Amino acid sequence: MMRILPAAIALLCIVGVAVDASLAADLPVGQIDRFIEQKWQQADVQPAEPISDSRFVRRLYLDLVGRIPTPQERETFLADQRPDKREHLVDLLLGSEDHVVHFADLFDTLLMGRGSDRDYCNRREHQWRSWLEQAFRENRPWDEVVQEILLARPASPDERGTVWFLYERENDHQKIAEAVAPAFFGIRIECAQCHDHMLAGEIEQRHYWGLVAFFNRSENAKTENGPRVKESAIGGFSEFAKLSGESTPNLLTFFGADVVDEPRPDADQKQEDLPELYVEAALKGEPQVPKFSRREQFVSHVANGHPLIARAFVNRMWAILLGRGIVHPFDEMDSTHEPSHPELLDWLAQDFRDSGHDIRRLIRMIVLSRHYALDSRRPEGIDDPALFAWSLERPLTAEQLARSMQVALHGSFRNDHPLFRQLRETLPDVLPETVGTGVDAALFLSNNPAVNTFIAESDEPSHLIPRIQQLDTPAEQVTALIVTLFGRPPADDEIERIAGFVATAEPGSQARSQRWQHVVWALLTSAEFRFNH
Amino acid sequence: MSSHQTPAAGSQTCGSSEHTLHRRLFLQGSMAAGCASVASYAGLFSIPALAEQTRREGRKCILLWLCGAPSQFETWDPKPGTATGGPFSAIDTTLPGIHVSQLMPRCATIMDKLAVIRSMKTEPSEHFQAIDLMTRGEKPRPPFTRPLLGSVVAEQLGQLDSPVPQFVLLDPCPEGNEFKAFKAGNWAGWLGAEYGPVRAGGEYSIPDILRPETISETDHSDREALRRFFSRKYENEQRSEAAASYNAAFERVKGLMSCAPLFDLEQLPEADRQRYGPGAFAQHALQARHLIENGSTFVMVANGMPWDNHVFQHEMHQMLVPELDNVLYQLVTDLEERGLLDDTLVIAMGEFGRTPWLNEARGRDHYPKAWSMAMAGGGIRGGVVHGATDELGKDVSDDPVDNRSLFATIFTALGISPDESYDLPDLPTFFRVEGDATPLADLLV
Repeated sequence: MMRILPAAIALLCIVGVAVDASLAADLPVGQIDRFIEQKWQQADVQPAEPISDSRFVRRLYLDLVGRIPTPQERETFLADQRPDKREHLVDLLLGSEDHVVHFADLFDTLLMGRGSDRDYCNRREHQWRSWLEQAFRENRPWDEVVQEILLARPASPDERGTVWFLYERENDHQKIAEAVAPAFFGIRIECAQCHDHMLAGEIEQRHYWGLVAFFNRSENAKTENGPRVKESAIGGFSEFAKLSGESTPNLLTFFGADVVDEPRPDADQKQEDLPELYVEAALKGEPQVPKFSRREQFVSHVANGHPLIARAFVNRMWAILLGRGIVHPFDEMDSTHEPSHPELLDWLAQDFRDSGHDIRRLIRMIVLSRHYALDSRRPEGIDDPALFAWSLERPLTAEQLARSMQVALHGSFRNDHPLFRQLRETLPDVLPETVGTGVDAALFLSNNPAVNTFIAESDEPSHLIPRIQQLDTPAEQVTALIVTLFGRPPADDEIERIAGFVATAEPGSQARSQRWQHVVWALLTSAEFRFNH
Repeated sequence: MSSHQTPAAGSQTCGSSEHTLHRRLFLQGSMAAGCASVASYAGLFSIPALAEQTRREGRKCILLWLCGAPSQFETWDPKPGTATGGPFSAIDTTLPGIHVSQLMPRCATIMDKLAVIRSMKTEPSEHFQAIDLMTRGEKPRPPFTRPLLGSVVAEQLGQLDSPVPQFVLLDPCPEGNEFKAFKAGNWAGWLGAEYGPVRAGGEYSIPDILRPETISETDHSDREALRRFFSRKYENEQRSEAAASYNAAFERVKGLMSCAPLFDLEQLPEADRQRYGPGAFAQHALQARHLIENGSTFVMVANGMPWDNHVFQHEMHQMLVPELDNVLYQLVTDLEERGLLDDTLVIAMGEFGRTPWLNEARGRDHYPKAWSMAMAGGGIRGGVVHGATDELGKDVSDDPVDNRSLFATIFTALGISPDESYDLPDLPTFFRVEGDATPLADLLV
């Protein structure tokens, strides 16, 4: 889909502000600030300086709509005279379709993991992707979203995407359990497969096998309505062996929840799969439903109201927007990983639950808090990132980069551009644990045709490289380029450096255009473009 | 994956035209001669200028990383005829009275060159923790991450300004359960990202190592200089570690591109490739030898996590052990023939051993309590078998060796002090090997 930006801006203004502006004023943003500031005082640190509007606008666009702003969008914000213009911008962006797409990108990766082209294709075809987008578009309560994914039983054709979280894992019930735990509960349980977690003792082996048991009667089925995950009323009883060799039955239980009662047949007793164990599905063509459904039990007895679901979500949102969770790593919220701000985490989780799991409210509060808008330059003498005393740089995700490169050179973007696929293969991380860069990524950006071809083919009259060549002086040309790509004016030595480089080719020549392409490559691959800072 | 030419097909395989010329002449010369010896082949496929520049007196190391953890019973510590010993018999070796599994006939003939520890005793029994332990030498002590063995060796013995990567990880398999999770972690720890490995594998070459045909060599280098100007400026102004790591990665691009031929397995002699055998593990072991010969300091060869045989252990090991047997044999004898064994340490180990008993799926599960590993060359004395296990292999009966004494031994053999200390701000002192562990004297030359 081609986006013409000026029109899009007008559209966003109407949708966003009118609906949500009043909400921002009532947010207890100050509460977050107090928790964070308290810790600064305790640690006796002076936080980094607040950033200017010109840096804020880039950071916020990347975080909320997954791309850099166009020069026009940036100018519009800078020219806005309202004292609460940041609140207005937050609401404008949260109400936009770009926000929906960006958050669907993030959560697709966090819930499903990166996949092959085929995986992405399937996720679209079977409407997982559109269902996820709809959830963010409607700002649906997160606990409902979680429960629908875990139940995987669409109540209407619009909801058929809900099955895909389980379906893509192809009847591998351990894989399902190992995905459910971090995705929704913020804990990793792989270690507990063979014994109680070695370090975090509260995560026991019975929790691992209990979680498996909730899903091990599920089976992928192709129905006339499409792929579904049907469930059997019998079977799924097994024993797991401890390291010592002793066997234990896999009861229906999970971390932080009681055992769900279920009659357990004796080892030699054969269960019969009788029709009276099922009820017909409400919708025609859907698989029949067992009267005692383990998935349903998991949703109603474990997931419903489980304290970790809200905690895990607020912690993850914090990590997305601030580069690090209050518990770090964000998906290991166990006893070996203490929160840096325990009271803040409690408060956020409580507020999230009280608000009806309102995702946009949470995002608004975080991005309007004081420490979100701090400089990313680490103050001398502070080295603990968990203080949130400076803004942590985050590498752009593959999608953010693919979209931002297009915005930079074309002024608009397509969500089906080949850059998405190409960058996803090499820069796969959303919320990477470390921000180190491998030489493979540097080789890719240097030599792979993906980026080089994209730059070379960005040669239509409306594109940046042809446009700047129409400008009169080298200073104007370089200024237009740096403002568009970095969102700031160039320094004198930068003008000199670039102008000197392009001047070695005749104006108007093919060689001159190529020089500009090389300049653009150098800027797009420099750290200032690569990171959200 | 992107498609890319093999370096052999490109007209400019190396950064300098002088080199290209040199290589062509060499090719013509050798073809005229008709039958080049193994020794001249080695010269043929190296990059003369680079090799001379980077070859140093210091020791080097190849780690055959047997990820997933092999069984000691089917390799170095057979217990034939016992309840736990499994179906395979034991065979004589060149060391009187020392037996290995019948699955290792080739290594049996070079036991006088190998040092085997049969009394490894470590703690973690889960892959992730154990892989971490046995590749770094120590359990985690947050918040700082201890560098991998390869990173330490590359930093201590390598030549960082060399274009040839000093620490290479050859691992064709992007998957591998806990190994995958481990690979996503922080490799070089407190040494910094520049000491992390260059990762290759898969198609045996490094993706995107060749310059695009549409960009001239001068332009390629000019635009990188411009990139560096902007990116370094940002790094300095922001005091950004993330940008420092990012820029460090780009600094390595040019050097790596100049040694593209080193990563092209197709250029190695067919006879060598046959000898090592098919399969990624074997071919990468050969490539490891080639990299060491041409200036790399540490090469880690892995292959996903094939050794974790919880199911059908004997059938799986019947395939895996003979491959390991041949690869280790070829590698050690090759290095010796080339006069490189004395200065190249070869280590073959996984993260723990396997249980003496079988589970219901006829698999052996994780067992850190008593297991085996092997080394050769590079400061390690051959013909030594250290420690022993009891009759059924349930526990160590003599001279238990933990991760610390093993790492103290490895470092000492390589000429690196195990006692070095690191003082990091506001933290207790870290030592290269913690706990005053002493190296195993009987294993050292």
